[in-house]
Amino acid sequence: MSSHSSIPLADSSNPLVRKLEGFGPLTEEERAVLRRISANGHVIGPRVDLIREGDAPDGVILIMEGIACRQKHRANGARQITAYLVPGDACDLDVALLTQMDHTITTLSACRVVRIPIDVVKRIMDEHPAIARSLRMGTLVDEATLREWLVNVGCRSAIERIAHLFCELLVRLQVVGFASENSYEFPVTQLDLADTVGLSNVHVNRSLQEVRRQGVIELKGRTLKILDRQRLKSIAEFNSKYLHLGTRAAA
Amino acid sequence: MTMKLQPVQIATGSNDRESRLVFEDGMLVAVLVQLSSEHDSEAGHWFLEAGFGRVENVHAPIFADLDEAQAWIGRQLSEPRSFG
Repeated sequence: MSSHSSIPLADSSNPLVRKLEGFGPLTEEERAVLRRISANGHVIGPRVDLIREGDAPDGVILIMEGIACRQKHRANGARQITAYLVPGDACDLDVALLTQMDHTITTLSACRVVRIPIDVVKRIMDEHPAIARSLRMGTLVDEATLREWLVNVGCRSAIERIAHLFCELLVRLQVVGFASENSYEFPVTQLDLADTVGLSNVHVNRSLQEVRRQGVIELKGRTLKILDRQRLKSIAEFNSKYLHLGTRAAA
Repeated sequence: MTMKLQPVQIATGSNDRESRLVFEDGMLVAVLVQLSSEHDSEAGHWFLEAGFGRVENVHAPIFADLDEAQAWIGRQLSEPRSFG
């Protein structure tokens, strides 16, 4: 393969490459840079805070396996999960501009986590415009996703919220090679799910039972299988446009 | 303070049907629903489906029985209203 090729080639093993390549073509050199900065990392168990609200930012946190989340806690113990970080996702690129974190980032499942030093991120942004462009696209998509989640908790019913999340995760995980046509690992507890969609555990359980009863999904262990994708999309009124995937939006 | 419970069936869209309207001095303050077998270890326990006024609390615990639920509702009604 030519090192100057700008033809998007599927890099099945690296979710960061897959994600960023989806936002625009990368050369083999750029892919190699991404593989290098995302190499190694640490395997961290579930429910570990990677950085807490109030902490000084410490590099850009990149998730390469597993699912982590951004969350906010209230003094009374209540919490809201405001984003999921799936493989290929990073916390804010410009986090170094902040003196302290305004939210906590925590693993939901076991994760492989890479911390990219701020100066490395800055150098890549300066030296590789195509990577910089894709990373900025990623930031825009994070914001668009947050808006969609706000609509979810503000305007959708219990079952619609869960259906929407399941549709979104199918698309996002497919992009990075962590979902098949209709199923993926969903290592999120029911309590985490409740705090994600702003519902009680009881309402989440009822909604899950209802979509199972309707034959729309099947949850076996940690594997979520979507049996009727059209029905799930229709319950959620799901439209993947906000993920800005261009032609990859198959789901 | 006199609390009265009125049995009622609620169409929750699930198998959770057996319910109680909870009145305090003649006013409806809460609705409790008994969790069905679909809720595994919490089956048979009581869930605050709705609380009104001081009893409103989206993070209310699940109650093992109606006595526990009434005691909790009583505390919400007697405690000074907290907004935090």
